[in-house]
Amino acid sequence: MLTLKNLSKKLGNFRIEGIDLEIDEGTYYVLLGRSGSGKTQLLELIAGLNRPDSGEIWLDDENITNKKIQERNIGLLFQDYAIFPNMTVFGNIAYSLHSDREGKAEVISRVHKIASELNIEHILERDTHHLSGGELQRVALARTLIKSPRLLLLDEPMASIDASLKDDIKRLLRRINRQGMTIIHVTHDYREALNLASLVGVLHNGRIIQEGKPDEVFRKPVNKFVARYSGIRNFFRVSFSKVNNEWDAFCNETTVLNLKPGTYPDEGFLLIRSDGITILSERPPEGTVNCLKGKVTDIIPADQGMELTIDAGIILYADISADSFRQQGVYESKDIWVTLPPENLIVLQGPD
Amino acid sequence: MRYYSSFNLILLLLSSLVLIFLIAPLIGMFLHTSTTGLIETIKERDVQESIWLTVWVSFSTTFIFAIISVPFAWLLARKDFPLKNLVQGVIDLPVVLPHTAAGIAILGFISRDGFLGKVASSAGISFVNNPAGIALAMAFVSLPFLINAARDGFMSVPEKLEKAALNLGAGRLRVFMTISLPLAWRSIISGFVMMFARGMSEFGAVVIVAYHPMVAPVLIYDRFSSFGLNYARPAAVIFIIVALVAFTGLRLLSNRKKVTYSESDYADS
Repeated sequence: MLTLKNLSKKLGNFRIEGIDLEIDEGTYYVLLGRSGSGKTQLLELIAGLNRPDSGEIWLDDENITNKKIQERNIGLLFQDYAIFPNMTVFGNIAYSLHSDREGKAEVISRVHKIASELNIEHILERDTHHLSGGELQRVALARTLIKSPRLLLLDEPMASIDASLKDDIKRLLRRINRQGMTIIHVTHDYREALNLASLVGVLHNGRIIQEGKPDEVFRKPVNKFVARYSGIRNFFRVSFSKVNNEWDAFCNETTVLNLKPGTYPDEGFLLIRSDGITILSERPPEGTVNCLKGKVTDIIPADQGMELTIDAGIILYADISADSFRQQGVYESKDIWVTLPPENLIVLQGPD
Repeated sequence: MRYYSSFNLILLLLSSLVLIFLIAPLIGMFLHTSTTGLIETIKERDVQESIWLTVWVSFSTTFIFAIISVPFAWLLARKDFPLKNLVQGVIDLPVVLPHTAAGIAILGFISRDGFLGKVASSAGISFVNNPAGIALAMAFVSLPFLINAARDGFMSVPEKLEKAALNLGAGRLRVFMTISLPLAWRSIISGFVMMFARGMSEFGAVVIVAYHPMVAPVLIYDRFSSFGLNYARPAAVIFIIVALVAFTGLRLLSNRKKVTYSESDYADS
């Protein structure tokens, strides 16, 4: 459907370099990257707002690298929506149809149809100055979708809306994708990737450094940067050592964790997912692997339960469910035990 | 509290001084002008012709140069090109030149020995002592006000809006006419008013290019130098009133808010 071949572009001091990407029809592709990683620039290259210095962009077996932006029919939803303030909602949505010189009756009918689908028919005659973030986004989506683009590009679509509206927008985007629209969605929030993506790419310093299904990327990050993007906050620089045919990771002088069988370098990083830590208020049975005694130093309510900070010789961040929190009777400064099953420990080689 | 009160008092005093400095000469001029003197002066044909000439030449000059210069202002706002700073400096040059010097420069350009003068005279046109020459002199000294205001206006329009319009399939011209221009409109009108005003009030450059036909500032000067203050004053008052009416009208026009492209624009008529 969309193929990027070795795409490069220099923009000031920043450079997008050697981007290769292949996206099939109907894919929901989430491109993760922090601000300044080149996400927006990449979307602008695909949309045709900028031309690459080298490389090619293919859409449906057609090389569109040098095709005019107006002829690409690729919809781009800007981060702050770029709603035209000198037009009503209707004028915004109808803008692209006017470019096609559609008949007036046809324009009105199509605007009402898409507005009805996106639940904004009641605001069509309003000017855009007093619309909420969610309404602005629906207007921007309607304005883009009315042309039935071949591909929909979303630049940080959740960045400017209230948390309470995010679920609505996610449902809407999922529905649009299920109707067959291929979507590339760029964001810095890994949770959006988890919720929406059929494929995830991680962009760092203008390069895609990992790509795959969300599960693969988040379970097996290729480096520390990707790991951070997958929400992992428990990072430890460790040295590895083989003792009695078993591998251990030395986090510091007192904390040693047992690893699953494998081959490990002398030094590297140990990553522990926050949801891979088990909390116990009683001492676990003798022989439990990687059992550490610690003290709860902070408790913060989170989306699905609580986020605990535990000092167990190493500082651990653990996400536990509200049920587990109640059952274990956790409170601040309580002494607890944590278990870190070897299969939940992720080892990264190399410095990054 | 006492500190703030004293501070406010000083502010009030300084502000009043500035305002009195600006308004007092004008009020004095109005007070020293009798109603009968004003009415008699209004009836004078050369005063009427002079004010009309000043207004229409300045307005049409501003209008014509706006059509040429506004796209240039967009270019300055949006594009980077070699020697852009130099170009910006050239645009501001007329503001810092003595206006008589600007008049000499324009005269050299449009006189029969100058480039434009030669071309025009071959077509039987003379710019010297002609409204066209006056227009060029007015434009030369006042154009920076329009270009700079329009450029600032375009710079204040988020480029993203233009990109969004392009992405929606609009051509560059349509994006300019439906997005850039309407959103920079207030600044452009503001620049238009400033250029118009500056053109109308121009004396130094115009008097060198064309003493006749007389624009209002030249007429006022002519009356002052030939007959004295009392004879020049009514013409000056009338010109000020006309200028104030014109500027207020244009300002009101620029402050109008308009949301365009609603469903009613698509209703079949």
